[in-house]
Amino acid sequence: MYKYDHIDQTLVDQRVAQFRDQVARRLNGTLAEEEFRPLRLQNGLYHQRHAYMLRVAIPYGLFNSKQLRTMALIAEKYDRGYGHFTTRQNIQYNWVTLEDTPDILAKLAKVEMHAIQTSGNCIRNITSDAFAGVAEDEYVDPRPICELLRQWSTLHPEFAYLPRKFKFAINGAKEDRTILLCHDVGIELKKVTQGDGSSQLVADIYAGGGMGRTPILGSLIKTGLPWQLLPSYLTALLRVYNRFGRRDNLYKARIKILVKALGPEEFARQVEGEWLFNKDGEDNFTQAEWNRVAKHFTKPAYKSLLKLSTEQVINTASEAEKTAFTRWLERNVKPHQVSGYASVILSLKPHGSVAPGDATTAQMLAIADLADQYSFSELRATHEQNLVLADVEQAKLYELWQEAKKQKVALPNVGLLTDIIACPGGDFCSLANAKSLPIAKAIQERFDDLDYLFDLGDISLNISGCINSCGHHHVGNIGVLGVDKDGEEWYQITLGGEQGNNTAIGKVIGPSFYADEIPDVMSNIINAYVEQRADDEPFIETYRRLGVTLFKEAAYKNKSEHNKKKENAATAGDAS
Amino acid sequence: MSQANVSSIMPAHDQVLHFPKDQKPSLAPNEWLIWSGDLNKNEDEGANFLLPDLGHVKSKVLVPFAWWRSQLNSHHQEEILSKAKAGQIGVWFPADDDILKHAELIEQGKLVWPLVGGHFPIFRDGRSFSTAALLRDRFQWTGEIRAIGDVLIDQLLQGARVGFDSFALRPDQNTDVALRQFDLFTVTTQNSWRDKRSLLATN
Repeated sequence: MYKYDHIDQTLVDQRVAQFRDQVARRLNGTLAEEEFRPLRLQNGLYHQRHAYMLRVAIPYGLFNSKQLRTMALIAEKYDRGYGHFTTRQNIQYNWVTLEDTPDILAKLAKVEMHAIQTSGNCIRNITSDAFAGVAEDEYVDPRPICELLRQWSTLHPEFAYLPRKFKFAINGAKEDRTILLCHDVGIELKKVTQGDGSSQLVADIYAGGGMGRTPILGSLIKTGLPWQLLPSYLTALLRVYNRFGRRDNLYKARIKILVKALGPEEFARQVEGEWLFNKDGEDNFTQAEWNRVAKHFTKPAYKSLLKLSTEQVINTASEAEKTAFTRWLERNVKPHQVSGYASVILSLKPHGSVAPGDATTAQMLAIADLADQYSFSELRATHEQNLVLADVEQAKLYELWQEAKKQKVALPNVGLLTDIIACPGGDFCSLANAKSLPIAKAIQERFDDLDYLFDLGDISLNISGCINSCGHHHVGNIGVLGVDKDGEEWYQITLGGEQGNNTAIGKVIGPSFYADEIPDVMSNIINAYVEQRADDEPFIETYRRLGVTLFKEAAYKNKSEHNKKKENAATAGDAS
Repeated sequence: MSQANVSSIMPAHDQVLHFPKDQKPSLAPNEWLIWSGDLNKNEDEGANFLLPDLGHVKSKVLVPFAWWRSQLNSHHQEEILSKAKAGQIGVWFPADDDILKHAELIEQGKLVWPLVGGHFPIFRDGRSFSTAALLRDRFQWTGEIRAIGDVLIDQLLQGARVGFDSFALRPDQNTDVALRQFDLFTVTTQNSWRDKRSLLATN
């Protein structure tokens, strides 16, 4: 993975010093909270319900065991012994103090980490494919471009105070694992053959996607952009947004609203108009810069191994464990570009967990050891809030599985109903309208039967505690959104969302539910699917074939009964 | 010229922070009034807006670009142009002015303006960063660009990089702390008006 040079290191160290001074000015009262707020946000520091929350950047989800150990020790020393991996491949600490933050950042800087631009109205930490560089279906390894753009966007002066936050996703594989179309800018990398037969790396640019209050899929505004020209093109794009994005209404300030208002063609035309003036300038990337960065993303020292068949891998397990091991192989192990290797997903979604994506200090330390032992000391965080060991020898999968089980990160539920994506919700976040974690827990407890989960197959369930959509509920096959009605927490259900190449925004099925209704509602929706599915048809396909009505009727089946129960309970309460 | 209401003068620190390209930052007394133009807006009077009294302690005034436009082709034109040429009148651009729509006027203005300003209605509004970048890149403006309005210590670095080279800080800002801002970073990872991105030594 990328290793800082002295420029990167100096910049991060100086950023810590700058923030230390800003915190000191805040603490001595010379900097007002309102004016400190964007400064701390640009360094990932939120003020939450109970304490400060620090979001640490994991650029494009890639990190190493040394960094994970530092993350673990920060959790131990400054938090309550755990960290939370987020839907944007970052890690959050929920219980830090303002006074400690500069020291935490200094510790992170020592292992080439930071919290720069993990929040605020600026270019956020760039996300990408968690299987970059190893995925079997990859056209282009996106990591050099990710890193070049990380550097380009870091402390970019012109775009430090955009109308609203700005998120990049970068994909280079056949299957989109980045929710590319739900980003302010999605960069799709590909290789094209030029006239002389040589191959050129180019980018297609999608703009104006996003979730939140107004979910919109990004529009293709540029095709075949040579990679070298990304900085000038993105400068033009961001300049148009910075100048003309709305600033009068927080909810209409994202680029998606501007692109929608102008129309994608007109937006693209304005970007081209701006780009004309800088496209040949010195801002563009050079081959020398590519070489400087790309040399860090070469293949690790793979052994020359024969590809093992699934059967051969299964046979490495003891007889008694073959069934359980097979399940894990089926769900949590992904094919690799290199023969004899596989990528392993460690599930951070044990049933009944406190929060999807949480890892304790002990787990992080143990996982760091596993990375050292089995995967060239590297790890990835997925936007589904799991961790990946990308380069594991097939012959060692059984051994790794046994180790992972000890850390409770081997539940074979990747892609299944209980692999729930959820934001921290009302338990922590001051923006949230409703809690998301107890809902996730209740659903995991309701569907705690692995046989049944396996039978159901691929279903994505996403929970957001408010319309900011950090739990990406819009693209869940089943989405749950916390809403506030007269001070009470309610939950709205959407169906039919999907990530990947068929990315789609789910549809709201109707009036919202109380928290305690949700497990029944889920059962009703799932039962309807089981009754209607044809052969091995996954949930989303059955939904598409039959439409929303059938599922909607199923979801509300117990509604009147439930209301009666509520009324009875209320009457009984009055009587006592 | 009659005196405008003093409340139509935009507040600014009495010291201006100068940071010319390739030079050290320094402080100097603020000689410029920044006229908001607001209170003299009277649609019935058309373009006959009144300038603040130049006999004020400060003898130079930054006027809104819209006012400047309104005075061209009026009977005040010669007076305004000669004052600009004498270094007494400059213009400032509000954050929501699309300067690219007035390219011709800006090209003409470049010949007479001693100074232009970019306004920050609130510190977290970054539009004037793009205005400054456009003035430098597109219009090749080599004169002074002053940040005015809600200009705080922690915007100085960004401002200095995109093209501003003087800062009329908000009056409550500490100028000693402000001066220190420019030494915080010795490296950058993208080009800007002030400096090119840091490169590794080649060997």
